[in-house]
Amino acid sequence: MQVKNRLRPFFENINFDRKDNELILNFGPQHPSAHGQLRLMLHLQQEQVVKAHPDIGYLHRGMEKMAENMIYNEFMPTTDRMDYIASSSNNYGFALAVEKLIGLEVPRRAKVIRMMLLEINRLISHLFWLATTALDIGAMTVFLYAFREREYLMDLMEDYCGARLTHSAIRIGGVPLDIPDNFIPDLKKFLDKLPQNIKDYEDLLDTNRIWQMRMEEVGVIPTEMALSWGCTGPMLRASGVAWDIRKEEPYELYDEVDFDIPVSDKCDNYARYKLYMMEMRESAKILYQVMDMYADTSTELMAHAPQYISAPKLDIMTQNYSLMQHFVLVTQGMRPPVGEVYVATESPKGELGYYINSQGGPYPYRLKLRAPSFWHTGVLTDLLPGHYIPDVVAIIGTTNIVFGEVDR
Amino acid sequence: MRRYVPKDDVQKKAYYTDRYWVAPQVPKAKVSSDSVFAEDLKAIEAKFKVLDAYIQVEQMVVYIQPEDNFGVLELMKKELEYTQLSEMSAVDFLSQRGEFDIFYQMLSMSKRKRIRVKCAIKKDEAIESVEKLFRSADWSEREMYDMFGIKVNNHPFFKRILMPDDWEGHPLLKTYPLHGDEFAAWYEVDKIFGKEARDIIGPEIRDDAAVDRYDTKRFARLGHEVPFGAEIPEGEPAVKTEYQEDDGVFLIERFEKESSTVITDRDR
Amino acid sequence: MAQHQVNYTQDGGLPVALTTIDKVVNWGRSNSLWALTYGLACCGIEMMASGASRYDFDRFGTIFRASPRQADVLIIAGTLTKKHAEFIKRLYDQMTEPRWVISMGSCANTGGMFNTYATVQGADRIVPVDLYLPGCAPRPETLQYGVMLLQKKIRSEKAIKAQKPKRLL
Repeated sequence: MQVKNRLRPFFENINFDRKDNELILNFGPQHPSAHGQLRLMLHLQQEQVVKAHPDIGYLHRGMEKMAENMIYNEFMPTTDRMDYIASSSNNYGFALAVEKLIGLEVPRRAKVIRMMLLEINRLISHLFWLATTALDIGAMTVFLYAFREREYLMDLMEDYCGARLTHSAIRIGGVPLDIPDNFIPDLKKFLDKLPQNIKDYEDLLDTNRIWQMRMEEVGVIPTEMALSWGCTGPMLRASGVAWDIRKEEPYELYDEVDFDIPVSDKCDNYARYKLYMMEMRESAKILYQVMDMYADTSTELMAHAPQYISAPKLDIMTQNYSLMQHFVLVTQGMRPPVGEVYVATESPKGELGYYINSQGGPYPYRLKLRAPSFWHTGVLTDLLPGHYIPDVVAIIGTTNIVFGEVDR
Repeated sequence: MRRYVPKDDVQKKAYYTDRYWVAPQVPKAKVSSDSVFAEDLKAIEAKFKVLDAYIQVEQMVVYIQPEDNFGVLELMKKELEYTQLSEMSAVDFLSQRGEFDIFYQMLSMSKRKRIRVKCAIKKDEAIESVEKLFRSADWSEREMYDMFGIKVNNHPFFKRILMPDDWEGHPLLKTYPLHGDEFAAWYEVDKIFGKEARDIIGPEIRDDAAVDRYDTKRFARLGHEVPFGAEIPEGEPAVKTEYQEDDGVFLIERFEKESSTVITDRDR
Repeated sequence: MAQHQVNYTQDGGLPVALTTIDKVVNWGRSNSLWALTYGLACCGIEMMASGASRYDFDRFGTIFRASPRQADVLIIAGTLTKKHAEFIKRLYDQMTEPRWVISMGSCANTGGMFNTYATVQGADRIVPVDLYLPGCAPRPETLQYGVMLLQKKIRSEKAIKAQKPKRLL
């Protein structure tokens, strides 16, 4: 028999003996438009929010602790589960941080493939954002359309690495595989259709009265608030700061490709929506250029650093020393030099940073994941007061938070 | 004899280290090698005591005294244009030198430079909140408290952020085991069903490869398939495996050459 | 008389199907499995994908409802953490009988790769689970197959007999 349910009510810590007529509303953690497991404690004055406390941690899985008990290569699949909308961006951030720590230079073909994966992931993430936000606002059509396009890209990722969602497609020191034969033609075919698709979404949404009313002048993040809260990515660029790490601190081949950084000083939901749409076009532009770069690269995929990186499969199977190295690297793990590094990359959501403190052992001594969504959730504390309840959903939609990343 | 396990650091350790192995260092450069950083450092040194400073992997690392943290960050924000606090947290060095290293990762968008400000505090010391300068520190400091138990003075809303409010222990301490302590292991059972349900639900299975041969409720038995929950006696009979096809998978059991035709013309 | 009068005894028989109540009820139950939108983590994204345009869960009569009171099946899609555990119990209790639970993905099955202090090592420690789907994350096809298996299971159950409530404790 079931014992009496011992769960205490939700509001155990809240004092209800109030003199004013403030209502306390609990929002989440299971809410269809909470984008995961966000729980908001909203203090309401009629329908207006006067105070908001985002409560997070419902998806805290202890990734930082896991990292301290894992060799570096083992941790790579865990990074997939951080921002699970765009897994390869996380893989890449971690790989780049370790490469900076041990001072590796990655072959050019690996760089080109990485760029492709990163931008495909950006497209996947932005399409997903568009789909879910539109669904939150009530535009079911856009949800279905955007998911249709997203599936093409998921198939491309599947062609490359075999996984749909959790790619683990990037390794420390390069990429594990060359792209399959039909990859570039397929990608081209998709990209040729993309402008028309984006235009379709914009035709549906741009001048849609409901969309405009829910988006324009709602969720205004002033520049100071965005900077102070550590907002990055589209959240910051929609608040009038032109800061994109791809442009300002270029990594990989971003300094060789030509692309623009869309910026808006409107600061509201609508500005963020327009930025996402424009960024999709820029990603397509980058992808076209990177596809052309692919042809004139040599076939090398992994950096040559026998102390840290296993030799190619052919060497492992034919040469004794490579096999021994491989054995040691797999069983004991690589031992990076003593030191610390903080490397920031521009993930689809903002600045994704990895702080690694290495004490020379095969396990990171401390690994801190700087996930953009964490602060984009935090900004809700200051952003929501003054808004109405329906706006809360629209604002959560445009902040584009993913809870794997917020709680880690 | 029971193997000795150090209590102050329960993290996983390398099982073998070459006794002559010397860990290499990530190269450090002098601050004077970068003009922007040199000027910034000069400005900080003019007002506060700087214990150490160097450039590592394109970023300047500045060690300051823990009581100066608010002052240094204020100076950096107001005068040196470091407008964003990207990240802050702590590193546990309690077992080595009884200290936490706290780092503040600063970003200047106008100069395109990043500085890491670090300070070390003793175990029971508290640090001043920088929440008034950077709102992002509000959540970072709460996370730091949650994970390490480091207290922060003058914080507006100081409580746990990631773990539940009634959680015991601070998970990222090196003394905290990866799989959690006794409290963590029974947390959800105690909270939902009560302590007396522990025996019914049983302990967590933390072994990745745990398979109980005689537990037919939770483990499939390939080749010896039995109904769900069946008691298994000694010398169990094998249960016929059913495939999707009606009569099992099509297999050629015997090939008779005389009664079969050999096709030579492939285009017939 | 109406022109289209049918002589039931001659023209192809009666428009009556004889069946058991079990079959009718189970037919209804199994073909309109409404699931709760309960995306916890990565698997929730694949759950959304199965509901979206390409995989189209509507074909199975499965649509997602935001309220546990309207849902028949709880798909635990993602990592169940200790902080969240009380809520899954609460949601499960709010669902009306008969109810089914699908544990989707390794994390919900056993804790999966997150063998840490913060993760519940298997959702079946909190709620009884009918179906475990392997994978990290399972593909939408897996979830579809899982729902088909669950339909099969429902069809084999007794519909009218007072159902024994499924309780973990």
